[in-house]
Amino acid sequence: MGDYEDATELMETYDFLMKYIVIGEAGTGKSCLLHQFTHNTFKDHSQHTIGVEFSSRTVKLGEKRIKLQLWDTAGQERFRGRSVTRSYYRGAAGAILVYDITSRQSFLNLSRWLADARALASPHLVTVLVGNKSDKEEDREVEWAEASKWAAENDVHFLEASSLTGDNVEAPFLLCARSILLAIESGALDPEKAGSGVSYGDRALRRVNSSSRLSFGSLSGGRRKSTVKLRLPLTGGRCC
Amino acid sequence: MSTLSPPPRPTPPSASPQPPNPISLRLYKVLAASFDDDATREAIRTLSDLYIAPPAKGKEVRRDDDADLDDADELDVPARAQAKPGGRGIDEAAATAVVARARKNLRRDVDTMLAASSRKFLAAFGEVDKQLDILQEHIGTMRERCDEAQTQLRQTSDACRTLLDRAGSLREERHEVAMRQNIVSLFLARFTLSEDEKEAITSRDVPVGKRFFAAMDRAEKIRDDCRVLLSGADVQPTAGLEITLATSALLEQAYDKLFRWCCAEFRLMARDTQLDASPALREAVRRLQQRPELLTEALAHLAQTRESALLAAFTGALTRGGVGGLPRPIELHAHDPLRYAGDMLAWVHQALAAEREGLEGLFGVAGRRRMVGAVRTREGPEEAWMSEMLDRAVGGLGAPLKVRVMQTVRSQESSITSYKLANLLQFYMLTMQRTIGEDAVLSRTLQELTDASYKAFFDAIDALGRALLRAPLDLDDHSVSPPLAILDHAQVLREIMAVYESSLLGDESAEEQTAGFRAILDRLVDPALEMVPAAAEAKQRQRPRWDGTVFVLNTLEYLLGVLEPFAWTQEKQEVVKGRIAGVVAQLTEEHYNTILRDAGLDEVAAALESRQPDEPLSRVPAAQAGRLQQALDAFSGWLSGAGVVHAERLAAVDARRVAGDVHSAALGRVAETYGRLCEEVRRAENRYEAGATLLGGSRPFGQVHLLWQIFGLEGGAAA
Repeated sequence: MGDYEDATELMETYDFLMKYIVIGEAGTGKSCLLHQFTHNTFKDHSQHTIGVEFSSRTVKLGEKRIKLQLWDTAGQERFRGRSVTRSYYRGAAGAILVYDITSRQSFLNLSRWLADARALASPHLVTVLVGNKSDKEEDREVEWAEASKWAAENDVHFLEASSLTGDNVEAPFLLCARSILLAIESGALDPEKAGSGVSYGDRALRRVNSSSRLSFGSLSGGRRKSTVKLRLPLTGGRCC
Repeated sequence: MSTLSPPPRPTPPSASPQPPNPISLRLYKVLAASFDDDATREAIRTLSDLYIAPPAKGKEVRRDDDADLDDADELDVPARAQAKPGGRGIDEAAATAVVARARKNLRRDVDTMLAASSRKFLAAFGEVDKQLDILQEHIGTMRERCDEAQTQLRQTSDACRTLLDRAGSLREERHEVAMRQNIVSLFLARFTLSEDEKEAITSRDVPVGKRFFAAMDRAEKIRDDCRVLLSGADVQPTAGLEITLATSALLEQAYDKLFRWCCAEFRLMARDTQLDASPALREAVRRLQQRPELLTEALAHLAQTRESALLAAFTGALTRGGVGGLPRPIELHAHDPLRYAGDMLAWVHQALAAEREGLEGLFGVAGRRRMVGAVRTREGPEEAWMSEMLDRAVGGLGAPLKVRVMQTVRSQESSITSYKLANLLQFYMLTMQRTIGEDAVLSRTLQELTDASYKAFFDAIDALGRALLRAPLDLDDHSVSPPLAILDHAQVLREIMAVYESSLLGDESAEEQTAGFRAILDRLVDPALEMVPAAAEAKQRQRPRWDGTVFVLNTLEYLLGVLEPFAWTQEKQEVVKGRIAGVVAQLTEEHYNTILRDAGLDEVAAALESRQPDEPLSRVPAAQAGRLQQALDAFSGWLSGAGVVHAERLAAVDARRVAGDVHSAALGRVAETYGRLCEEVRRAENRYEAGATLLGGSRPFGQVHLLWQIFGLEGGAAA
């Protein structure tokens, strides 16, 4: 934990700032996933999220440091879930769509969530589907292959993770960040524009590069590295 | 060399018979003496040399030693004179002469020669002696000199000792001085800034950065050290004071520079939605916290910049939307009040969180993590700054937000939407209060908006209530079901209750939950409770055949049904139940009377109730034996009819349970009445002839428990 704190302390400056929204049915472990991601610990006995909660973490992807502003949403309407959540798609560059591999119902409702995201967010929204609770293999109700197929059909990234063990927890966030960076690189996404959910970080960097386009040499170089770091299951990389 | 051997000396004749004559002894001794030993031979050779060998030589010697050897002169002269002419013969003669002379003069010659030699020695030693004297003299002098030198040496060394002492002390002094110099230079190094550092602090050309901060650190260190220095009692304060003054002046300059730089930087922060602080800026802010008045002023610039930046961004999001209009501008959804308000509030919330993050970065407190969902704990001086900054930065969003939300709130016709809006606003108000505090401008704005929206909502439901009160019942509607007005009203109530239910977090106490909805329930349910009986009565007057009581009962039961799913409506449910109990009692009474009438017992029962205490029952016209018999027969007939199990009127009661209860209660009372009648008939005071026979003539033959059984009721046994 101490080392980790130090590491984040050093990473206070960043190259990009991205806004993510974490969505999915109630009880799929969205908050736990986030907690594991931001604190590296499992958050036990957690309450239902009310409305939306905010947290952040800086990650390193290749040579780029990326600050993630994470909006955790309530899955249950009772706790001001969807109706409030809908307003938060607006500013998001990435969406982490979470279902519970031990709950078929949470998987079946994915289409609704994705439809919401597609309807309300920016057209460049990058969505990563996460099958949470991968540690509960014995209670599994949704097969990996089935979810993977759904992800491919719906053009989203997919992987499974466990917010209990922390297994693969960073991967969806990094995968999302990578896709967004690639979108920026390809020119599809402009961090300088408002509402994109992405902005440049370090002011100095921006000043230097304000006249010319940002160099992505380091990103391209670091791509292979990041793929290794992602530890994607089986197929690796994107599955669509 | 026998020739050279000395001739035997004339020896006295030996007298053998005579005792040894000393002379003969001597002779013998002499004669016996052998001269053939080396020593003798050497001596003889010397002698011969003395006499023979060196006539020439002797001449030379003579010449050399003319003056010294007067005695020998005379001796040698003839020999030399003879030898001068030379020749064999002469030599021979000379030799003989020499030998002779030698024999004669040997002793003298030897003595003479010895003497001469001695004289020579004497002379030589005299010379030596003389020389020695001189030598001694020299030595004496030398010693004198030596003594003198030693004295001088001693003196010198004495003199040197003081010199050495002085040199030693001088050396020490020098060492001391060097040390002091060292100390002084160290002191200076420690207590003064280098030119480079001074330049870093004062020059406009040196940017605020590492070098500047290092110089500032030095200056601060010096000032602190000086304070320590000055606190030492035995130190001359002059230097310390001077240094303190100089350093303080420099520090002030440094702070001033920082301040100016920060102001400039802050003014540049208008461009970005996200507030992002560079490490240098963070350091500058950290340092400026030592000069709160400067920081306040600098932050005022930032607050202003951020306020306008956020305002611009908000306006952009409202009217322009994202890149290429996607996501769409928020105002595009102004027709959907909840979405419109929700989007605006969410935008503000996000801006708030991002702004807070930026400020945390600026104040360098970002490391302190907060559990997801945890209430922010307020601590540290930075927190105060941040709160204020946050307040000011997002405070500006209040105005455009307020205008739009108020407009939306006012334009709502549906009380449900109004309630949802109010709820949404309240939710965000609480969320923001947790983040920026209740006293923040934005919190107050939201409070205002929430209050206004609640007021609008209450106005709306008050209007609903008033409308309900005024709503007349449809006179041509013969049904006794809840009227349309009530159904509509209940639907509104239901939806509002659902919204309230969803707004509960689950951690409120039952009391809190009830209190949170009490006002709304009062406003919505009370008019209904008031309207239903009044309207029923009015309709009843116009349509006497219409069953107002059942209508009221049905409607109240319906309302109760609406309230029942929610525990926090318990209070109101009790009120409704109270009303229902009243209506049920009334209905039971009416039903009882109906049954009595139907069963033909009404007149007898009336007689039973109304007779004078001392008047026998049989004397009351309605209860005379004949009439009684008729009544009992009618009752018997009724008992075998459908009326026992079915009441037509109660069939209209929607709540079957209530209908059953009413019927049972009415039957119970009938049974009680019958029981009392039997009792009275049997009593002698009532003067019935054969009362038992009278009763036993028809069912249930005066047996009350049988009647209870027929009615299917329990409790008759007890009665």
